[in-house]
Amino acid sequence: MKINFESFVEWDNSPFILFNNSGKILYLNHAAEILFGYVSKKELYDIALCYAPHNFGYKSTTLSLHYDSFLFHAITVGYENEEQISLRLYNTPRIKPAQKLQKEKLITTDINMLLEANIALFKTKNKNTLRLLTDQDLPPFKIDQNNFSKLLRKTLDAFRASDSIDISLKLLIGQHVIIDDKKEPIVQLSIKANGRYVDTDNEIQHLSTQSQIKSLLKEHSITLEIPLIQ
Amino acid sequence: METFFTTSEKIHHMMKSIHLTKTLFVSSIIIGDKYTGKKTLARHLFPEATIVSGENQEEVQMALEHHDELIITDFEKLSNQSNFDFSNKRIIATANYIGNATLIDDLFAFIYTMPPLSERPDDAHYLKNLFVKEALSILMIDPESIDDNAVPLNLTMNAKSLKKDIFLHLMQRTMNAQEIENVIFHYILKHLDGNDGYREYLGLYEKPLIEAGLKKYGSQLQLSQVLGINRNTLRKKIHEHNID
Repeated sequence: MKINFESFVEWDNSPFILFNNSGKILYLNHAAEILFGYVSKKELYDIALCYAPHNFGYKSTTLSLHYDSFLFHAITVGYENEEQISLRLYNTPRIKPAQKLQKEKLITTDINMLLEANIALFKTKNKNTLRLLTDQDLPPFKIDQNNFSKLLRKTLDAFRASDSIDISLKLLIGQHVIIDDKKEPIVQLSIKANGRYVDTDNEIQHLSTQSQIKSLLKEHSITLEIPLIQ
Repeated sequence: METFFTTSEKIHHMMKSIHLTKTLFVSSIIIGDKYTGKKTLARHLFPEATIVSGENQEEVQMALEHHDELIITDFEKLSNQSNFDFSNKRIIATANYIGNATLIDDLFAFIYTMPPLSERPDDAHYLKNLFVKEALSILMIDPESIDDNAVPLNLTMNAKSLKKDIFLHLMQRTMNAQEIENVIFHYILKHLDGNDGYREYLGLYEKPLIEAGLKKYGSQLQLSQVLGINRNTLRKKIHEHNID
């Protein structure tokens, strides 16, 4: 019996890419398609070449790769002829939050309104230029309003001395998070500037964890991935 | 409904932020000096909310159990702040100072600071005009008889000192001799004791007499003639009362 593995690869949660010998993509699965929003084709092709086995066959290497919120702990590079080379990246398992979300505390909220209120609060203390790009059509969803407001206040405060601040709020198409065995869409709030304070990073992480929000704290930006629970 | 006037950009942002959170269950606190309008602003934005004072711990505790929307004034006076759970409640607190910063940071989602009147010159002048009108009406003084520029703008205690000084100024300028005598009478009645009262309380009359005279006539020579006393006597009295 011949089994067609293509759909298994297509819907595998870990990215899989097949390049030709000039770095052109011949095939990529669904997870890889999302990953390409955050990393260039060239970078992954270079990795594939760098970690390719000496002879035809497959080689797995343990290494740590970070692309925005995507974390990988290993890769497998393989080729069976001179024309094609494949790269598979292994997702690092996410640590299950120790704290369960207290759903009774969640209230259906217009996140744009809460964000605007926090921007107005920020403006009472700072004169920085703020640019806001938001999706006004985001549906109201359930959050712990008080906790989330504290998180927004602290996140914005980290940019109190930044020259110009770019805030964007959007739905992450095609990405989901599992909360209480339910697949929930993700809303991404991203704040970027020329630099920021890191003094409250621990508190930002703590407040994020409490609301099952994934926080990505970088030198110039903070990104919050908020589950859109309805 | 309580009205709140301001031209301060900072307070406009504050009002916008509070306004946006009016339907949400979040906890907010306005921190600022005494008499800067924190409570007025809270009442203006939440006219229906129950108001309790931090001076009465039990009352606050009870109100928290029974209301989802609450204004808590004098929050700094509460000693059991760490026991509060503001989850899914709409709390707007006011405090004269921050107290335990970590605790405030932990309890409140929105922390606002109300600038003093000295940093809000337009607001101070608006309030001055408002208080002058109020004082003229209460004291039944003819507005035409008042020199607006001479009315003081004392902002040391924000709206309190501003209002108090306006009332005092307007009363002082419109008192007749009999009323001034009454003021002195009651003052002396309250304070007179010891064994040197005559010399001590004569200053209440002599000092303003000489100060006003010097301001009006400029020279001691001219003033001594107007007062009908010897120049040396006048000089001695100026020295006695430490008049510059």
